[in-house]
Amino acid sequence: MRRLLLIALLLCLVAPARPASQEVVLVVRADSPVTDLDSVSVRKLFLGLPVLVNGTPLHPLRNRSDPLLDEIFLQQVVAMSQSSYDRQMLIGVNRQLSLRPTEYRRVADVIAALSADPEAVSFMWSRDVGHNPRLRVIRVLWAD
Amino acid sequence: MGRLVNSLRVRLIGVMLVIITALVPPLYLGVSAIVREGYADRFVNSLRVYSRLVADELETLDEGDFDRRAVALLDSVVLSGQVVFAEISDDSRKLHSSIATPLIQGPLRDDFHFGDQGDQVYFITHTVKRGDHVLVLRLGFDEVPTAEQIAAAERRVLLAMGVFVLASMAVAVWLSWMIARPMVRLQHAAQRVAGGDTQAQLHISSSIREVQELNFHLEHMRRELVGTSERLSREIREREVSEEKRLDLERRLQHRERIATIGTLAGGVAHEFNNIMTPILLYSQLALEEVPADSAVARDLTRVIAAAHRARSLVTRILTFSREVETQQPNVFPLRAPVEEALALLRDIVPANIEIVFTAPQQPLLVRGDASVVHQVVINLCTNAYKAMGRNGGKLGVKLAAVDDPPDGQVAPGCYHLLEVSDTGHGMDKSVLAHIFEPFFTTREVGEGTGLGLAVVHGIVSSMGGAITVRSRPGHGTTFSVYLPATRAQPQTAAAGIGA
Repeated sequence: MRRLLLIALLLCLVAPARPASQEVVLVVRADSPVTDLDSVSVRKLFLGLPVLVNGTPLHPLRNRSDPLLDEIFLQQVVAMSQSSYDRQMLIGVNRQLSLRPTEYRRVADVIAALSADPEAVSFMWSRDVGHNPRLRVIRVLWAD
Repeated sequence: MGRLVNSLRVRLIGVMLVIITALVPPLYLGVSAIVREGYADRFVNSLRVYSRLVADELETLDEGDFDRRAVALLDSVVLSGQVVFAEISDDSRKLHSSIATPLIQGPLRDDFHFGDQGDQVYFITHTVKRGDHVLVLRLGFDEVPTAEQIAAAERRVLLAMGVFVLASMAVAVWLSWMIARPMVRLQHAAQRVAGGDTQAQLHISSSIREVQELNFHLEHMRRELVGTSERLSREIREREVSEEKRLDLERRLQHRERIATIGTLAGGVAHEFNNIMTPILLYSQLALEEVPADSAVARDLTRVIAAAHRARSLVTRILTFSREVETQQPNVFPLRAPVEEALALLRDIVPANIEIVFTAPQQPLLVRGDASVVHQVVINLCTNAYKAMGRNGGKLGVKLAAVDDPPDGQVAPGCYHLLEVSDTGHGMDKSVLAHIFEPFFTTREVGEGTGLGLAVVHGIVSSMGGAITVRSRPGHGTTFSVYLPATRAQPQTAAAGIGA
C-alpha cells in the first residue's frame, strides 16, 4: 500500500506541476458551531479522541482523495508515520477510547459529508473549497 | 564429467545450490526492504512528532520578546543533534537558528518519505497560528545517521545471508552425504553380487525408511536370484548325471546286444560244428579199434581223436558262452565252497611271486545255480589275473561279500553276493575294456589264449541272473566284480561240491 502511495506520489511529482502555491485547509460546514481549533485539538480529533464543542463531539472525516494530501495529513495533522497512525488507531479502537475517522476517497463525498453534518470536520486542498458557500475554512494546516 | 554430473551426491548438492541461489537474493532484498522501511518509518515518525511538538511550542510562545525566544527555541532544536536546518518565517521576516550551518539552504519542497529529493535532509514545514498571524516553521532533519544505520543493518543482513548460504551448503553436503552414502554402499554390494560373490549380503544401515526398504527388497531379490541360480545349477548337474547314466545304460545295452548276437551266432555255429564232430569222433574211435595199436594208422587216428576232443571242448565253451549248455538242476549252495576249491587248485599253478589273498565273511553267502560253473568262473578270472601280473608278480585278491544295492550303478539294485577278483597287473585301457567279454577277443599272443575265458564267465554269470563289472586302469591293475543274486533258501548238502 505504501509502495503504491509512493509510486503515485512519484507520478504526481513528474506530472505537470501543481499551482505554485497551494494550501491544505481545515474545513467545516458553513454554519458549524466550530470557529477555531488549535493544532492539538485537531490532532486529538483525527486520532479518534473526543473533542467537544459546546458539549457536542466533533466528527472527523479523513479525506483520502489525493496521496499527497494523505501524506500531508500524516505529517502535519497527526504528526506520525502511517504505520504509527494505524497502530495508534488500532490501540484506541481496541480500548474503545476512540473512533476511527470516517474515510472518503472522493472530494465530492467529503464535501457532501461535511454539508450534511454540522459537527463534521475535514481537510482538503484550498482549491477544492474554492468559493463553496456551504463550507468554511477554519485553519490553514499546510502551505507550500 | 557425465558420470560426475549424474552422481546422486552431486545432484543433491546441485539441487540445494539452485534452491539457495534462487531463494537468497529475494530473501536478502525482502529482509533489506523490511529493515530499510523499519528504520525510515521510525525516523519519519520521530521527526514528525518532534517537529509537531516544536510547532505547538512555538504556537504557545509568549508574545513578549518573541523573536529572541523563537531563536532560542530553534537553537535548542538544533542542539538536539538531528536538526540541521531551522527557520521561522512570515511574510516579512525570517528567523534562523544561530547555530545552524549556513551550508544548508532552505527547502524548496517538503519531504514526505525518507530519502526524498536525495539531499540527505528531511525537510518538514508546519504552519503556526498565533492569533491572526500565521508563521511557517521549517525544520531540516539529518538523514545521514539513519542512512548509515540502514547501511550497517543491510551489511549485517548480508553477513547473515552469507552465513546462511555457507551453513546451507554445509547442510546440503552433509545431507547429500547422508542420503548418498547408503546408496553407494548398496551399489558396491550389488556390484560384488553381480561379480559372482553371491554370498555378499546387501546390508546397509540407514535411518532413511526408503533406503531401508530398498535394501530389504534388493536383499530379498538377491536371495531369490541365488536360490534360483543354485536350483538351476543343481538341475543342470542332475541332468548331466542322468544323461551320463542314460548313455552308460545305452552303451551297456548295446554291448549286451552285441554279446548276445555274437553268442547266438557262435552258439549256432558251435552246435552245427558239434554235430559234425560227433561222427568224426565216433568213426575215428571205431576205426582205431579195427587197426593194430602200434600201427601208423592207429597213431594218426589217436591224433584225430585228440583233436576232435579239443574241438568238442572248444565247442562246449562256446555253447557255455552262448548259454546253450544245459547245466545241472540249479541248487542253492554257499558261494565260498567252489571258490575255495578253485583257489586250492590255482595255488598249485600260480607262480610263487604272486600272493593270493582270500577274504570272506563268516556267514554263508548262498546263491542259486551250478557250483561247478562258479568254480569255472573263479578259475577263468584268476587265470587272467595272474597272467596279467606275469613275471613281476603281485597280489591276487579274491573277496566274497554280501552287497545290497551295488554302488557303481551298473547293476540293478538288489541283494547280491559279491565275488571280487583283483590283481596288480598291467591293467587295461578303455578300448580293451569295451571288448573283453566278446568271444575270441584276446590281447595275448597267438596260441596263448582262445579269447573265450571272459566270454564264458559273462555267459555263466548272466545265466545265473547276475552281472559282472570291471574296473581297470593301465598300470593300476584290474578288478572284476561278479554280483550273483542272493537267496534265502536253505542249501542242499549235495550241491556244496563241484562233483555233486
